[in-house]
Formats: sequence, C-alpha cells, structure tokens
Amino acid sequence: MTQTPEPTPFTQAGDTRTSAKISRDTISAVSVAVLCVLLLLSARLVSPALGSWTQVETVLVLGFFLVVLSYGQGLVILSGGLDLSLPATITLGGILATSWVGANDPNAWYLLPVVLMICGLVGLMSGIGVVWLKVPPFIMTMAMSIIVASALLGYTNGTPRGAAPTAAVALMKTELLGLPTPVIVLVAFVAMGWLFQSRSIYGRYLYAIGTNLDAARIAGVPVTMMQILPYVISAMCAGFVGIALVGYSSGATLRMGDDYLLPSIAAVVIGGSSILGGRGTNLGTVGGAILLTTLGTIISALGMEFGLRTVIEGSIVLFALLLLREELFQKLRNLWR
Amino acid sequence: MALAQFEVQTVPAWKTLLIKSTRGAALIVGIYLILYAFYAYQQPRALSASSFASLMNNTAPLALAAAGQALVVISRGFDLSVAGVISICNVTLAVYPLEGPGGALMSALLCMAIGLTVGAVNGVLVAVLRLQSIAATLATMIICQGIALVILKAPGGSVANWIADEMTGRLAGVIPVSGLVVALVIGTWLLLRRSNFGLSLYAIGADEHSAALSGINTRRVRFLTFVIAGAIYGLAGFMLSAQTATGNPTAGTPLLMLSFAAVALGGTSLSGGKGGLFAAVMGAAVLMLLQKVLFSFGISSFYTGMFQGVALICAVVFSGLLTRLGEVK
Amino acid sequence: MLGARHDAARAVGEAHSVALLAEGLRKAYGATVALEHADISLAAGKVHALLGENGAGKSTLVRILTGAVRPDAGTLELNGSYYAPQTLIEARSYGVATAFQELSLVPNLTVAQNLLLPDMPRGPLGLVSFRRVLEMGSDILARHGLQRIDPATQVALLPLAERQRIEIVRAMENASSLLILDEPTAALAETDWLFDRIRMMTARNVAVLYISHRLAEVREICSDATVLRNGRSIASVGLAEASDDDIFEMMVGRRVDHTARNRAASRLSDAAPRLSVKGLSGHGLKDISFELRPGEVLGIAALEGQGQRGLFRMLAGLTVPERGAVQIDGLPTTLSSPRQALRAASGIAYLPEERKTEGILAGLTAATNVVLPVLPGAAYAAMITPQAELRAAGPSATKVDMSPRYLDFAIGDLSGGNQQKALVARTLATGAKTLLLFDPTRGVDVGTKQSIYAAIRAFAEQGGSVIFYSSELPEVVQLADRCLALYDGRVFQAFEGDAIAEQALVAAIHGHAGGHH
Repeated sequence: MTQTPEPTPFTQAGDTRTSAKISRDTISAVSVAVLCVLLLLSARLVSPALGSWTQVETVLVLGFFLVVLSYGQGLVILSGGLDLSLPATITLGGILATSWVGANDPNAWYLLPVVLMICGLVGLMSGIGVVWLKVPPFIMTMAMSIIVASALLGYTNGTPRGAAPTAAVALMKTELLGLPTPVIVLVAFVAMGWLFQSRSIYGRYLYAIGTNLDAARIAGVPVTMMQILPYVISAMCAGFVGIALVGYSSGATLRMGDDYLLPSIAAVVIGGSSILGGRGTNLGTVGGAILLTTLGTIISALGMEFGLRTVIEGSIVLFALLLLREELFQKLRNLWR
Repeated sequence: MALAQFEVQTVPAWKTLLIKSTRGAALIVGIYLILYAFYAYQQPRALSASSFASLMNNTAPLALAAAGQALVVISRGFDLSVAGVISICNVTLAVYPLEGPGGALMSALLCMAIGLTVGAVNGVLVAVLRLQSIAATLATMIICQGIALVILKAPGGSVANWIADEMTGRLAGVIPVSGLVVALVIGTWLLLRRSNFGLSLYAIGADEHSAALSGINTRRVRFLTFVIAGAIYGLAGFMLSAQTATGNPTAGTPLLMLSFAAVALGGTSLSGGKGGLFAAVMGAAVLMLLQKVLFSFGISSFYTGMFQGVALICAVVFSGLLTRLGEVK
Repeated sequence: MLGARHDAARAVGEAHSVALLAEGLRKAYGATVALEHADISLAAGKVHALLGENGAGKSTLVRILTGAVRPDAGTLELNGSYYAPQTLIEARSYGVATAFQELSLVPNLTVAQNLLLPDMPRGPLGLVSFRRVLEMGSDILARHGLQRIDPATQVALLPLAERQRIEIVRAMENASSLLILDEPTAALAETDWLFDRIRMMTARNVAVLYISHRLAEVREICSDATVLRNGRSIASVGLAEASDDDIFEMMVGRRVDHTARNRAASRLSDAAPRLSVKGLSGHGLKDISFELRPGEVLGIAALEGQGQRGLFRMLAGLTVPERGAVQIDGLPTTLSSPRQALRAASGIAYLPEERKTEGILAGLTAATNVVLPVLPGAAYAAMITPQAELRAAGPSATKVDMSPRYLDFAIGDLSGGNQQKALVARTLATGAKTLLLFDPTRGVDVGTKQSIYAAIRAFAEQGGSVIFYSSELPEVVQLADRCLALYDGRVFQAFEGDAIAEQALVAAIHGHAGGHH
C-alpha cells in the first residue's frame, strides 16, 4: 500500500513492445470497422437488397444519433465518469426544439444554439455535482436524469406539442454534394471529435484524469475544469441528438431518449474503451456505434423480432468485453507486482 | 492482565461499532418516520392497516431489488442485470401462470432460479473472467431484456390470481404479506452478515487485493454475491408480478435506476465496503413514501421525480459529510 | 567461483536443517520473464536475506513461495518433502506466511478481524462471535508486545507504522516453518521491536526470508544472503564474508563509485531567499520556519510521521495550512493547488511520495507523463502530437539519464527505476525553480539512485533550489547542503555543511539533542 511494488523487469522485454503499444488502441477500432464491412457484405448474401450503397447510407444516417451521443458518453467515461442523464437530455433537446423553437421557426438560427446551451447547462450541473458536491457520477447523472425528465413531464403536461423546426428537418432530410447531409455532418463531427480527443491538450488532460485523478492533479492538470467539461460536451451532444431526432421523425415524445442510454454505453465498450476511464479512442467508439446500428438495420431488414435483436446486441457487447479481457489480465498482473 | 486490558478496551469499541452499524440505517429510518408523520397528518387514513399494506405492496419490489443491489454494491460492484431479471420473471409469470398455493411456491422458486442463473452468469463473468461488473452486467441486462421480449412481445398476459391476491393481502388482516417477504430477506441477511461470507463481502468491497492476500477466496465471495443478489431480484420480480397482476417485457426497467437510488439513499457508498441491506430497503421505502406524501400535498405526480432526484443528491452529499466528519474525529 | 559460494551456503545451511529448498524456479508473464532461474536454500532457525535491485525477481520469488503464483518450472521442498502450494491458504497450512511489502490488511475491518482472517471464531449458533474475535485478537497483540493497539480499531484509522507491525504479527502468527518479510521496515522508524520478534521466531526454529533495500539492517539480523539479478540467483553468501561493495557488485553487476560530494554552502550565503516559510502549522506541523536559497539543497530528516508529509503537501498546494505564511521570491503566496504552486512566482514542482498512486499515469506514454505540466507550452494552438511531446520531453529525460527510447512506452510498462526517473524529469521539465522531492529514491535501484542524485546536484548548481525528504539518512548526508531534523512536527535541530553526519542525525530525529553547535 505504501511502497511501490516492484516493476516489470524491463530487460527481457526488449523494444518490440513499442509497436505492440501503438497497435493496441487501433486494433480494436480497426477490428470493429472490419466487422461492420463484413456484416454488410455477408448481409448481401442473405438478400441482394442488403449491403448496397444505399444501405450504407441508411446505416450512416441512422447511426448519426448513436455516433454523436456515444462520443459525449465516451468523453465522460474517458474522464472516469458515466453519464446516465443522456435520455432525459435528448428529450429536453427534442422537446425544446419542437414546442419552443418550432413555434418561432424564423428565429431558429439563434434559438437552436440556445437549446444546446440549455442542455449544456444540465451537463454543467452534473459536472458541478460530481466535482464540488462529490456525488458519484453514477448517482449525480441519474438524479439529474430523474429531475429533468420530471421537469419535462410538468412542462409539457404529459403531451409534447409542436412541430420540428425546418432547420432540424433540413439537417436530417436534405442532400449535400450528392450525399445525405447527416452523413457529411457526421464525418465533420467525427473529425473534430478526433482532433479534440487525440490531438488536443484537453484530450490529453482527459486521459490523465481518467487514469488517475490524484496523480493528474499533482502533475498540474486543471482537474476541476477537465472533470466538468466532458459532462457539458456530453449533454450538448445529447441535445444535438434530440434536435436531430425531431428533424428525422418530425416530432418529440417524452420517451424519445429512453432507447439510447444503454447503446451509448455499449458503443463505448465495444469500441475498446475501459469503463473505468483513461483508455480508449473515439474512433473505436464510432466503430462501436456504427456496428450496433448496422446490426440493428440488418436484423430488422431480415424481419427478425425485436427481442432476438436485443439478445444479439447484448451478446456482441459481451463478446467485445471478452476480447478485451486478455488486456485486463495483464493489467491485473501488473497490479500484482 | 490481558483480560483487564480487554475489559477496558471493549466498551468504546462496542460503542463505535454500534454507531457505525446503525448510523446509516438510523438516519434513513428517521427520515422515513418523519415522512410518515407528514403523510399521516395529511391523510389520517394512512395509519390504517389496509393503506399501510398497500404502501408495503408498492414498496416491496423496489425494496427487494435494492436489497440485492446493495449486496453487490457493498462488494464494490454494480449490477445492472436487476432490470433484466425482474422483466424475465414478470413475463414468465404472466405467460405461464400457475394457480393455487403450490403454483405460487413453484412460481417463486422459478423466479429465484431465473435470478440465480443470471447471477451465476454475472458471477462467472466478473469473478472468474474478471470483467468490470458494470460492463458485464450491462451485457447480461441487454440480453435478459431481449429474452423477456422473446417470451412476451407486448404488455399482456395475466399473473395467477392466487399470487396477485394472496401475496398482496394481509395475514390475520393486519400484517402485509409483502412486508413479510422483505423481512424474511432482511433476516437472512442479518445471519449472513455474521458469517465468514459476510465479513469477506465487506473486505473485498474495501480492498480486494488485500483481502486476497489475507487468505479470502475473493473469487468465490464475488461469485456468491452475484448469485445471491440474483435470487433476491427473482423475488423482486415475483412480488412485482403479484402487484401488477399482468405481464410487461420492460417491467423491470424503471427499477434499475431506482434500485441504485435506494441504495445510495440508504447511505451505502457506491465505492464499496460500507452500508447494509436494511438501509437500502429503507431507502426504497422512503422513495415510495415520498410519492404518496407529495401526492397528499396535492403536488402533481409529474414532479415526483424532481423531489426524488433532489432528495437523492442531498442524501449522498449529507452522508458524505457524515463520513468525512467521522474521519476527522 | 560463484559455485563455490553456493556450496559454502549449503554447508552453512546443513549446520541447521534445511527448511526450504528451491531449485531452478522460473516464471514468465506472457513474453516477460520475471524469474529466469532461481535457487535458494533456507535453514531453519536462521534469517536469510534476499537481495537484488528492483525487477530482479524478488517479488516473484516471494509470490511463488507464498502460493500466490505457480512457477513454470523448478521444484520446491519444504522440510524435506515436496511443496507446491496452489493458494495462499494452502501455503499457510504448511506454515509458510508472508508480511507483504504493500501490506495486505483490509482497511474497513478491525485489527482483530484482520489478524484472524479468513476464518473467524464462531459462537454456539455457528455465527461469528465478535467477543471471541476481540479476545483472540488482543491475545495475539499481547503476545507480540502490542498491547497499546486496540483490537477493535478499524485498521484504516491506524498510523502506517502500526499497520506494518500488524501485518508482520499476522504473518508471524501463521508462520510455523517459513516466515517471509518483504521490506518489513519500510514504515518502521526503528528496528528493535522487529528484530526482537524475528529472534523469537528463529528461536522457534522458523526459517526467515528477509527482503530489504537497507544493507545495514540486513547485516544486523541476517546470517546469509542470496542475491538475485535479472531473474537469476547470482550467489548465496555468508554475510560475514562479503563486503558491501561485493554485494553491490553482485546486485548491479558493476562496482559503485563513491564520489565525494561538494557542498554548495559557500556559494549561497548572500543570495536572497527563494522560498521563505514562517510559522507553518497544521497537518502534524507545529510552527515551522525556514528559508531556502537559490542553489541550495535542503534535506529533511525525520522518522515516519513527524509532519514531513504535511510540510510537503502544504508547499505543493495539496493541503491548506492552518496557520503560517509562505513567500516565494519575496512575494507572499497562498498555495491552493499543485497547478497554482507551479505558477506561483518562480514555481514549485512536487515529486509525490507514492509513485504508483500519485505519480505515474500508467496508460500514457512516458513522454506525456513528463510534459503534462507544461503541455500548453509544447502545443500549437492547444493541438499536440506524440512527436511534439517526445521533442519536449527529451531534454529533461537526458538530465536524469533516462534513455529517450523509453519515452514512447506506456510508463506503466517501464521498470520502477525508469518510472521514477520520468517523474523526476517531470519536475525538471516544469521549469520551476524550487523542487519538492518526497523520498525521491524510494524503492529504486542503486544505478537509478546515482542518476537521480546527479540530476539533483546539476539542478542546484544551475541555481535551482531543492527540498527533499529521505527515509534513508545516508542519502541526506550525501546530498544535503543543509538539513532540518523534524521531530513531533517541529524543527528539532538544523545542521549545515559538514555537521550533517549520520550519528548526529539519528540522535536528532529521535528527539535527542546530541552535540549542539
């Protein structure tokens, strides 16, 4: 407990571990991507209508929601937390977009960003609760979820009204440069997300505090800000998804976010992140989200029932976890010495 | 000589032990009593046996779910499969109703067997394969939800009448049966707590590595924890079915978050090694009573969640403060 | 020649009966060979030292003996019969028990419960009897002269030194044929109690395997030693026949040179103080005042728990002092966080006490670990690449004699010595003019120690100021220009220049004012 246990003898290991280390993170991302392609191609064997380019587009459009959402969730998990308030925040974004922005459609250009900021405020409160009130993330975001959901219930009197703002519809249902707009937005989003997580100092800070908060604090990392920030980003991602969802389905419901919480965590886990934080890449998470969406599309195209689809989804999460297990063993051994 | 020493030292030791073991539970019991007083003041009928029984019936499923969850949380784990187990039990009882007392017993055993099985899977994943409990149980929970949907696609079916009537009834017109079931679980826990398993549970929750080096078979303890918790979830599913009398493939979902809320409200730290089952049960009771009290004050049920959420945050902050005070002293 | 030594050891062993004989032990974790080929023979009733640098395989050997891991090859004999424990409990049933270096007490259980784990005495109903647990616990404590410890106290509430004693007592209670003590004095200020207990064990004909970095201690209590290097047992020697340098040579594979240090006392007398501390109190400190000048290395000598931790944590901005003032470069400063301490005037950089839990960020590369405090400086518009980090970390790594090729490894995969070098490099990379080094060479090997000493001296020669605490007095003697001996939260005595001598320091840290100047 007090003394540092003896380290791994370095002499015998040699330099080969450098390459192993670099590939370790990318392996999971690449293998998930390969799995997606294989799935789409093999679906083609089952039915020629599947696996076409149109279907790839469909998957990307449908995957839009989960990719954006799991990016935020991934950041929170990376920093050592967990965001259970996503469903409520999605609904918040969706309901504000319909009942408030939808009624003032011409002003949507500034009202939609305000909606995002309101959602960000929810994240800010979660973050502050975690950092200053020292409530565990699990409890804090759960409480926020319950509170926001209840507030929305009261705000809408149980029945959300209003129509989707045209901007949200445009986002989801137009084409740009011959591709569906959401696909373009998605690519830009992922690129920016990668820059932030893997190539910015803030990303490094997040890895640091997720690995060891105390050590990061001692190393001079601005821990307070970096603990709160991911919750704000995650909530804004959720709000964005809420807006996009009403654009896609032209309306909001009080339960529109419910089906996204578990997949958002599952996508992060499938992508090779550690649920304890400090490890994982956002490309892996994107892969995880796309994989789950691909699977969902294929299964529903095959006419399989929803229950079986859920079972398969769960099995894939389990499979991903078991694949990562060898690493965990190594970690545990290192802890032992 | 050594005995004299022993005499001198035990008195404060027992006292601290007493304070430590009751503080969390005492706090939540106090809150419950205060809330109940409010409730009784607003609605004098609240003191009648029937309304107490109906409160117990509402509380029992969540209380049991929280009790199982508390076990896992004490061992420093999370168990998301609670929702899946309860859903499977509920749809099973709704699709295959078994009438009569024998049928009820069979149903209860069946539910516990379902819980045991899922718990054993969790146990293998976490204790033997060493997966993170939150991730592993996330997977089993998704699978369980899928299975529940396969058994019953949409809400429907009906639970055996005997279960729906008797398990929500009163014994000798006074004692609610659902309360007895919860009491039975708590009683078993109190025995379990004073066993090597009970002690080991707290030990692995606080420091698994040290516990292993101290000679505790951490794998077995962790495995058993998930299995026992699973069985309790099974009972929760049974009691929920008795209360709703119908099947719903997502019946367990609302209990997932609330079970953690109840555990936290009861003062069991999510970082493990602390807390107890009774406190978690009382946490569940407070959550359910809060709904009634708010309703009796004429507050729309829409806003129940706000109060629950704020109460949850306050409880965690407050028990955190208490712990820190204890450390300073 | 080595073979001859080995035979000599066996001859010694045969005088007493051989308690444990291990031959050709080998253990690999994946591609990493932790133990290549280890032979060791322990005589009943004797204390045998196991020596070696970090990573030499000592802990792996201990874990094999104690049943925590199984060897890939090799045989073990205990008291003449085959011994292959599968678990810790099985090893215990053979009378083999270990006091672990990292302590294996469960914090939320009581002292008595910890002593009796995993099987508690039960009452008539088959339930654990708390009363008997306490009785048995206090009996055990009394047997080992620890009546002052209340068996009903939670272990977490005890000071570190007492926890270490309980760990040792528990191992002794379970060891009837072999007792393994892994760094048993890490948290103990004095060895009297421990050695007394060890002699009691040897009197009962128990073999003791003693692992320590402190050679003086080893010479005092052990009769023989086995030296491990790179996973191989290099030699077993009688300690009476081997000089310190012989042993170091066996451990490191080369001779260690004792360079005479030159104190900087003359250089710094007239400079303005860089750091000035007045009346600092709280967290175990009582009214501490001192000044630190540019170019000065200030050593803190103290027994465990005399307030040094509080002092370092306050100056690092981790805890808030109850009273007192700190000035950096003549400016009054409130140190509220490590980040702020780094930025306060000429800056204070802190090397934490516990490498694993407060120091390294295991999954990140060594380069990221080094540049983390100055990451914005290494970045363009908040964007950073691994290459930029390597470039920024390079110069600091060179200063601590750390090979740059280690910089792009995950720091958790490096040896303890390289991890510590990286952390010292981090404090240098911050550009802070004052370094706070808490036990900078804890648990590192001789070679790494020399590199860290050289880095500290070079830093001071270029005008930097250093405050360091060391649990090893020879280190204070070797490095410090000035030294404060803390006792009970106060500066008990200050030493300067050649007055810093081990004997005087020993007296002062025990609160004996020997030889005032």
